[in-house]
Amino acid sequence: MFTPLRIDPAKVLGEITAFQRKLAAGMESLRGLHEPEYANTPREAIYREDKLTVWHFKGTGKPTSKTPLLIVYALVNTVWMTDLQADRSLVRNLLEQGEDVYLIDWGYPDGADRWLTLDDYINGYLDRCVDVVRQRHGLDAVNLLGICQGGAFSLCYTALHPEKVKNLITMVTPVDFQTPDNMLSHWVQDLDADMFVDTLGNIPAELMNWVYLTLKPVRLNQQKYVSLVDIFDNRKELENFLRMERWIFDSPDQAGEAFREFIKDFYQGNKLVKGSLTIGGKPVDLGMVTQPVLNIFAEQDHLVPPDASRALGKHVGTTDYTQLAFKGGHIGIYVSSRAQREVPPAIHQWLRSRD
Amino acid sequence: MSDQATDFLKQYQTWAQQSWDTWMQSLQAPSPHPFQPFQRTASSPADDLLGRALGGLKSYADWLQAAATSGIVGQGQGDWQQSLRQLFTGGSQPFAQAFAGIDNASAQGFAQQWQAWLQAVQPNGFGVPPHGFGDLPGMGDIPAFGYTRERQMQQQMLADAMREYAETSARYQSLILRANAQGFEQLQEKLSKHMEPGRQVESLKALYDLWVDAAEEAYAEIALSDEFREAYGAMVNAQMRVRKLQQEQLEALCRELGMPTRSEVSALGKRVQELRREMRATTTAPAANDEVSALRAELAALKRKLASRSEPATVATKKVVSAPMDVDATRVRKSASARRATTTAPVRGAPRKRK
Repeated sequence: MFTPLRIDPAKVLGEITAFQRKLAAGMESLRGLHEPEYANTPREAIYREDKLTVWHFKGTGKPTSKTPLLIVYALVNTVWMTDLQADRSLVRNLLEQGEDVYLIDWGYPDGADRWLTLDDYINGYLDRCVDVVRQRHGLDAVNLLGICQGGAFSLCYTALHPEKVKNLITMVTPVDFQTPDNMLSHWVQDLDADMFVDTLGNIPAELMNWVYLTLKPVRLNQQKYVSLVDIFDNRKELENFLRMERWIFDSPDQAGEAFREFIKDFYQGNKLVKGSLTIGGKPVDLGMVTQPVLNIFAEQDHLVPPDASRALGKHVGTTDYTQLAFKGGHIGIYVSSRAQREVPPAIHQWLRSRD
Repeated sequence: MSDQATDFLKQYQTWAQQSWDTWMQSLQAPSPHPFQPFQRTASSPADDLLGRALGGLKSYADWLQAAATSGIVGQGQGDWQQSLRQLFTGGSQPFAQAFAGIDNASAQGFAQQWQAWLQAVQPNGFGVPPHGFGDLPGMGDIPAFGYTRERQMQQQMLADAMREYAETSARYQSLILRANAQGFEQLQEKLSKHMEPGRQVESLKALYDLWVDAAEEAYAEIALSDEFREAYGAMVNAQMRVRKLQQEQLEALCRELGMPTRSEVSALGKRVQELRREMRATTTAPAANDEVSALRAELAALKRKLASRSEPATVATKKVVSAPMDVDATRVRKSASARRATTTAPVRGAPRKRK
């Protein structure tokens, strides 16, 4: 009779010895490393307000698109996932395709931002950023690319200010917040959001990171670091790893009021798809989104399950709706090799035919 | 396994532990390179943070050593299933350690804050028992009375909240333990598909990876259950209640010392944000702009009228001819200016129009 384990003692000794050897070598590798930089694609600040900055990126050639593309990132984590490193940069690839790219960097909220609401973010900051870009180009409307929570913001914005958005792209964007496989949503259903925010004020980034780590505790808190041993002798891979660690853990706190509203209205109330959402007292009707929409989601997304994004097709009012399923996860959609090959060209081609 | 091999492994374990300690010490030694996490001195509080950051790696190293000396290695294997169970569900099982790494980080911060609070309030006559409220069973059942009634009640509420937090936390931990147990069952199920020669598991790393898959699947199943959702919400809400009551007592202390409190600062921040909204609404509202424009036009007309009365008719005729154009131009300019105010008022360095 056979057993499923056929582990030879001599090989085990070799395995452990190799592990320890790599670990020891890793010490030297780590000691020589500086903090990894992001891609830092050349950019210019064209607008600043409170903590936010609107960046205009400079490509090597002139943009070929007529309409600028404004990227609206989430409030959680920093925007630099879109420009992580030279060979893994959504921004850089979009520039190479011929897009004229702008990005809203929300910055790091502090106590002064405790009372910012979703109305302040969407009808305030975001609207003014859109106006600045429109004014620079002398256009009535711009293209929006909303990412994750920024995608939900972009949807609300487009529904509230349809005349200012020409084409809308949503990436890994939750729309139906209560699909059965949405673990984050499941966990916050019994949360007393009022007491949570009243107690904590702004929500600390460290707490947010803890929640994300506990979505896959062994994989994200142990196995990932075990795999690190295999790249200790590869300086480039090690830098990539550390850069990603920097992005994951160097994240902003969440403005308390906006967080309260987002939890109650989006996660607990699922009002975006129920049609009962109001922002700043104005109803948000996804049926008002009649411009062309490209919805890109990741098939292995553990933060925003594909079904949470797919729901968009049923609720927007547009007759020009395109859906793109990417084979990868929530982060892989920006940084994987496949993403570099597939996502920016898909966005550009879709926009070009609607420019 | 032969005695020789066993002896070797024992010696190896000692060596491995020494290697790990050396590795950690080396990483903690001052470095000329500016990569912050590895730059701290051995005596700094960052030791603990570094230990936790590398905890996943250490857990795996410990597990490797335990696995090497367990009954799963070698041809005889004896009761390999029992050995496997001991390895994955015993004291040093990696699931608990993976979770402990992140849980401790969160819980420790809370515990430290709790201790700091105890130390802060004890000398000021709040009557906090030396070991906190946990050792006051039934305190909440005693009615408060007398001069210190209000403070007694506050403390009773805090003690109750602490007990509730301990209960909900224990409930949450029991679900984590259950996830681990079910993870082991799923591992056995996965292993049953590796019985045939050629498909057997031949390395500890392969076994570990298989276990990670099983553990995450089992955890996800439990984490998406109603029981987990309730336990999770109850634990978070209970901790928030403790923190809130703690903050209230700290605020009372601050007021006694004449220090500004968080509530006061928070209230000021809220008022400032409301004023900002009102100001922006006033300056950007179309109705307000129309009214201002109308008043300006009326003022200009009155000025022209006054001027026409004091000047010769021929000049006045010219003025009348040009006046409407001036007024019109003024109105247009004001409107443009007003529009800019709505879009670029907070710009630091006005955006340049693209040529």
